[in-house]
Amino acid sequence: MSDPITTEIIRNAFLACAQDMNAALIRSSYTPIIYEGKDCSVAILDEGASVLGQSMGLPIFLGNLEACVKHTGEQIGWNFKPGDVYYLNDAYVTGSHLHDATIFAPIFWRDRLVGYSATRAHWLDVGAQDPGGSMDAHEIYQEGIRCGPTRLHEGGEPCEPVIDLLARNSRFGRSLVGDMNAQIAACRTGQAAFERILERFGFETYDAARREIYRQSEELERAAIAAIPDGSYSAAGVLDSDGHGSDPLPVRVRVDVQGDNLTIDLAGTAAQGEGPVNVAYAGTLSACRVALKLLIHPDRPVDGGNFRTLEVRVPPATVCSAVEPAPCQFYFTPLGLVIDLVITALSEALPNAVAAAHYGDSMVMRITGKDPRDGSRFLMTGPHPGGWGAWAAGDGADALINVINGAFKDYPIEVVEHRYPLMVRRYGLRQNSGGAGRTRGGNGVVRAIEAQAPVDVYAWFERSVMPAWGLFGGGAAVGPDVVVNPGRSDERHFLKANAVPLAPGDVVEMRTGGGGGYGPAWERDPERVRDDVLDGYIDAEAASQRYGVVLLADQTVDAVATETARARLLEESSDAPHRLPQ
Amino acid sequence: VGGTMGGAALARDLGRTNLICVDMGGTSFDVSLIISVRPTVSTETELEGLPLLVPLVDIHTIGAGGGSIAWLEAGGLRVGPRSAGADPGPACYARGGTEPTVTDANLVLGRLDPSHFLGGEMSLDGSASRAALRPISEELGLNATTLAEGIVAIVNASMADAIRTITVKRGIDPREFGLVAFGGAGPMHAVALAEELGIREVVVPWSPGTFSAWGMLQTDIRHDLALSFFHSLGEVLSASILEAVGRLESEGTALLAADGVPADEMSFSRSADLRYVGQEYVVNVPLTEDLDATSLAEGFHAAHHARHGHATPDVPVELVNLRLTAIGKVARAPIAVEPRTIGGGGNRREVVFGGTKIDTPAVLRGTLRAGERHRGPVIVEDDSATLVVPPGWEAQVDPGHTLFVVPLT
Repeated sequence: MSDPITTEIIRNAFLACAQDMNAALIRSSYTPIIYEGKDCSVAILDEGASVLGQSMGLPIFLGNLEACVKHTGEQIGWNFKPGDVYYLNDAYVTGSHLHDATIFAPIFWRDRLVGYSATRAHWLDVGAQDPGGSMDAHEIYQEGIRCGPTRLHEGGEPCEPVIDLLARNSRFGRSLVGDMNAQIAACRTGQAAFERILERFGFETYDAARREIYRQSEELERAAIAAIPDGSYSAAGVLDSDGHGSDPLPVRVRVDVQGDNLTIDLAGTAAQGEGPVNVAYAGTLSACRVALKLLIHPDRPVDGGNFRTLEVRVPPATVCSAVEPAPCQFYFTPLGLVIDLVITALSEALPNAVAAAHYGDSMVMRITGKDPRDGSRFLMTGPHPGGWGAWAAGDGADALINVINGAFKDYPIEVVEHRYPLMVRRYGLRQNSGGAGRTRGGNGVVRAIEAQAPVDVYAWFERSVMPAWGLFGGGAAVGPDVVVNPGRSDERHFLKANAVPLAPGDVVEMRTGGGGGYGPAWERDPERVRDDVLDGYIDAEAASQRYGVVLLADQTVDAVATETARARLLEESSDAPHRLPQ
Repeated sequence: VGGTMGGAALARDLGRTNLICVDMGGTSFDVSLIISVRPTVSTETELEGLPLLVPLVDIHTIGAGGGSIAWLEAGGLRVGPRSAGADPGPACYARGGTEPTVTDANLVLGRLDPSHFLGGEMSLDGSASRAALRPISEELGLNATTLAEGIVAIVNASMADAIRTITVKRGIDPREFGLVAFGGAGPMHAVALAEELGIREVVVPWSPGTFSAWGMLQTDIRHDLALSFFHSLGEVLSASILEAVGRLESEGTALLAADGVPADEMSFSRSADLRYVGQEYVVNVPLTEDLDATSLAEGFHAAHHARHGHATPDVPVELVNLRLTAIGKVARAPIAVEPRTIGGGGNRREVVFGGTKIDTPAVLRGTLRAGERHRGPVIVEDDSATLVVPPGWEAQVDPGHTLFVVPLT
């Protein structure tokens, strides 16, 4: 019997415990991708690897810390010992890429295994063929050292040969060990907090409380799914290519809702690609969970009661269920698409909860070289923000990090310029890049970086073949572009590239896509269109061409010309089929 | 921040080095720390989600206060973060609020005097509190008293978690600290928090509801100066550090002189921000007069270990900033103690502790005399706050009219 008061106190205690773990990890990590970028995630799990508390962080890690603990348990016959710390990064288990280090520790209380504190963080380099990872691998063996469950600490003592092996195989071995220690410190914080909870309440009370916590989450989720009309809902999209110039790769999603059960089936999705565009099943499962979470109680924390009625089916060896030896560096590229497609599929059923597609991917830029100030090798890597899709009640967000990355923060310009021989020449919103609509898609960004020394540029930009689409008659967004030396005679464009050399003074300009619009653009209040022009989100030409809003010389709305232009847009649109909100 | 400054002044006056300051009002609960008689300061903070690289008192806030609303979700009891605020406020304010709040729970438990709220300037409607609790009571099958105690227990646990978060981040143990409670609702919950965290002394200043305002009057003139000073600790000469700090000190002296501070009222503290090569976050370490690179590095490793739980002494350390805090002492306003005996109080009422109604005396703070001891259960009321002393604790009145609440065992 669990009383509701103790249950709530225990529920809050586990949420606080995950927060404390996250703080411990971020505060003591070495690399900006963790402490600035927050490319990390932590969870406190019970002995069956169900989530008791999870911090903010990368939402795409929803659910695959459990998968790592379960995989390890099965491999070692669940023979965990006090003082053990495990590491693994096998992309086929984690549903991520080899850079994401999962580190967890079993938690014992009075000689009984009660749970695990688990962390995941992005390590800068794990020995791939190129610094920080490759854009053009053909097999996972080119992407770094792949580890299954590997003990870092045994009985509280570090396994020095293992740590040494990992450090020696990284171009940045020292920061690898620093980040590893930060993750272990976070595990210890979680351990201590879990022990304190058991010390105070005892195992029986805790056990009853967690069952009740899971029951509450399950009940809320079942009720929300039951409220979705039964039916089969579909959507399809494409990945630009496999990274080696293939044709676009289709990804198909069918969502079947029956009562309080929801099944997502990816039948018809392309076979795994030759390039690093693949993700293992665990990642696809997480993406489907994220999509569901965005639609159902997005503000509630996740625990072991969530996702019990969600089933995710993927045929074997597709881009979304990769097997050896498919490379997985850009595991998140198909995942961003899956999330947008699940939401689009459910748009008819949940028109007020959905948003149009977002700019879609992390838009990774990596710059490497030798820092002339001290001759050391440097590596700057990070994603770019872009525009998000509009929804029933509001415009899409401008310049927000993609759905996969969640709490990921951009690096401050000062950090970039201080740490690397680079100068940020421009960083701002990319006008007109959002899709037009009754509510407008958000704009992407433009960031121009000038090299101060010879450097190599690596890029992985996506969603150009099928840029963020609109919903219910809203327009599509403008896709991404990468330009070297814009406006100069040697200007060139690309989206995916490996080691493009830049000389000092050369500029690389990243342009990310916008989000899709929602509802017909000519239904947008002309005054709001005018505000968008005055604020610079769109220009006067886009206002007239896309929204049918004509401004006079004094920047006020020309009511007569606007009425004519809108009538023309409406007429043109009746030729093209589009869905209308119910 | 006024409360924290007040906390620091209190620490100095009372001879306490380490204090946890808790400020609980209607909607939020703020925790800050006094370590070695000084507020802990972060060199960075977040404001509305934006990072700020300026020295600020480190305050951790959660949405828990007297106005926090109790509600049900899938059969689970939640308290906050939504608050009824002051308007409509708790149901017992009888201003249209119908949802039960923490204040309603405290009223049902007899901890507040319905006829003597805010020094008698407002009366509370206990029947409205009970009516607001009823739907949840029925749904959960708990009587009003058990539910009210539960609501208070949940909000107390959340506040204790918040205190742990700020102390864990700093690598310190709350049991080594005293707890200073202020804000309108702070003293009502403080002893329960202390019990939960193993803290053995609760300090309740005079007029807790206005303590933050008094704290603002306890501040000195302070200038924070910083100088970017990127150097590897192994290579830089102590002399060049001293020379740079010397420049900061002349700048600080000039600023204080311009404020009209006489030379003998000036004081300076010097520190350096250090980190391991490759890190971005820094740890601030005090600079001593006879500074040398080795002891500075050792101080950094120790501070890093205390803060982050690990240190790596074989990794090179770099200096990032030199800092100087220039303080000009200002004459302070003493706490104006005005013993008075305005209406209410001085009575007895039934107060619930641990599920049992206990006949409890309520005393007026203004009538207490230095040296008196009042064994719990007892309620101490003043114009701005109500202190609850549960059984097993004792309130002691010091000559400056500060109340200390300590466990009897």
